[in-house]
Amino acid sequence: MTMPSDRLSGAVLFIFGLAMYFAIIPTFVEQAEGGNIAPNTLPNILSWMIAIGGAFLVLKPTPHQTQDLRYFARALMHGAILCAGIYAMTWFGFLYVAPVLALVIMVVIGERRMHWLALGAIGMPALIWIFITQILDRALP
Amino acid sequence: MVELSTILAGFGDAFSLINLAYVLLGVVIGQFVGAVPGIGPVMAMAIAVPFTFALDPLPAIAFLIGVNKGGLVGGAVPAVLMNTPGTPDAAATALDGYPLAKSGKPLKATKMALFSSVTGDTFSDIVLITVSAPMAILALKMGPVEILALMIFAFSVLAGLVGNSLVKGIIAAALGLLFATIGSDPENYTPRLIFGMWDLYDGLPLASVAIGMLAISEILRRLSETGGKVEAAIDLIDTGNPDDRRVTWDEYWSCRYVMLRGAVTGTILGALPGIGSTAAAFMSYAFTKAASDDPQSFGKGNIKGIAAAESANSAVVGANLIPLLTLGIPGSVGAALIISAFMIHGLQPGPLLFENQGRLVYGLFGAMIMANFINLWVGQLGLRFWVKVVTAPISVIFSSAILMCIVGVSMATSGLFGVAVMLVFAGLGYLMASFGYSLVIFIIAFFLGPRLEISVAQSLALTNGDLSQILRYPVAVALLVMSVVAVAYLLWRNQAIQRLEQKDDANV
Repeated sequence: MTMPSDRLSGAVLFIFGLAMYFAIIPTFVEQAEGGNIAPNTLPNILSWMIAIGGAFLVLKPTPHQTQDLRYFARALMHGAILCAGIYAMTWFGFLYVAPVLALVIMVVIGERRMHWLALGAIGMPALIWIFITQILDRALP
Repeated sequence: MVELSTILAGFGDAFSLINLAYVLLGVVIGQFVGAVPGIGPVMAMAIAVPFTFALDPLPAIAFLIGVNKGGLVGGAVPAVLMNTPGTPDAAATALDGYPLAKSGKPLKATKMALFSSVTGDTFSDIVLITVSAPMAILALKMGPVEILALMIFAFSVLAGLVGNSLVKGIIAAALGLLFATIGSDPENYTPRLIFGMWDLYDGLPLASVAIGMLAISEILRRLSETGGKVEAAIDLIDTGNPDDRRVTWDEYWSCRYVMLRGAVTGTILGALPGIGSTAAAFMSYAFTKAASDDPQSFGKGNIKGIAAAESANSAVVGANLIPLLTLGIPGSVGAALIISAFMIHGLQPGPLLFENQGRLVYGLFGAMIMANFINLWVGQLGLRFWVKVVTAPISVIFSSAILMCIVGVSMATSGLFGVAVMLVFAGLGYLMASFGYSLVIFIIAFFLGPRLEISVAQSLALTNGDLSQILRYPVAVALLVMSVVAVAYLLWRNQAIQRLEQKDDANV
């Protein structure tokens, strides 16, 4: 099942544009003397463009339909796995985390065949290690 | 004017063994990943850009060109065999390729795609080599005001990518520009929107943004659609007739006008930034069908349908480099990624490139021509193998692609901070694509953003803030008029293409 999306995305963009203009830009853009354009000029103009565009979409949405919520949930789950994997890399490094991350992703996708699991979880990280550290002489993360 | 000795030295560089080896590697990788449904040359280029760090500029860019060209040939394989185009460009190829494959001629269909792709590509490369140097000389005569007008023109041609909603296109461009303002202000160098993270002071890393939005977001989308199922392999039908496995000279020659029309269509549309190869393929297909004595045979396995689509979509690649090399304006995501490779190697695409790096540019031209021949050769040898590639499980393909993205971005940004930025933009890209906002517009606007702001500042300084002084710059005025005309024309053309595609879908 798909769902109409423009009102939702338009509302989010409208709020985002206003938040940028009224809260974020005044706080996080340092002002400077001189110059032809103030540092906040372009961000302010763009924030207004986004807010007005968002409001327009709320008032006059296109027939665009977005995916079912369960697809978003699955994408979120895969995104969370990626985040966890990259966080783990900051502690243990690519060499130890990559095989586990690849294995988890493949199992979640539904792969159960041992030879493909071995290729993805051991073969590919090994190939990347050889290519990066031995051939290109670079460090892995 | 570039001297003859520079041109010859450039072509000499292109034919060096090391350069040819990287072109070959790029073509093989491009054809391989193009054959995998869901990966495609853009994602492959996005992943490959950081790996070119360790190379000299010419092999690095020639390698990426090889990936791009090979990817277009490889993209036709799943389109023909599974009716699942590996790249959007190959969607028109599937219209006749898939019926031909189903009738027991998968190799004939893929070989026709290969031959017409190389023919169209070579045509557009010759046009590129011929016209880009004179255009660059013209571009060199421009000052800051003209460059600002040119930047406005560049943004106006983004209208060609807008799609169904102008408002969404404007929002995508505004978001791209807004994210481009993160970092330091170009005039005063004060920190802007960095939220205390000094890693952002030099701006968001292009590699993180491009790979996050183009590669990881697409992988997330594809993974979300698998639902715990690993896609099944396909069954190929083989009639056993040798004639069904090859394209005869008579068959190729009978398509000569179709391929010429496709190549011209692709070259013209490719030279206009923002229109893209998918539109070129569908337009060429529609023109060929309309000009045919037997239009009813299209969509049922007519080899001319494959020739029309493939010659046009491949011709766009070479022509896309015309605005990139002469004006520094990327006409497509592929071109934007090639620009990022130029920048990684400290080169700024634009008219000065011919003056400062003429040898490199002509080396690149030589590499492009070589890539076409290598594409043909690798395709001839490899098509049987690429046909097997479409059966590789997505579980291995996507998990490997994710690992390569992580490594590639960490190499490009010297650490995992860039990888974290990549993840943020993967999420943004996924949401934007799901809600119908153009990622291509976002990426091109993100790339052009800093130059636009600098151009505005320089122009204001030169005109003392008096906009009426622009009238003293006739080239700038002409470019601004062209911008208005381009927006009107591209929006009209965009709607016409959509109508054509809808009509074509209804007829097939």
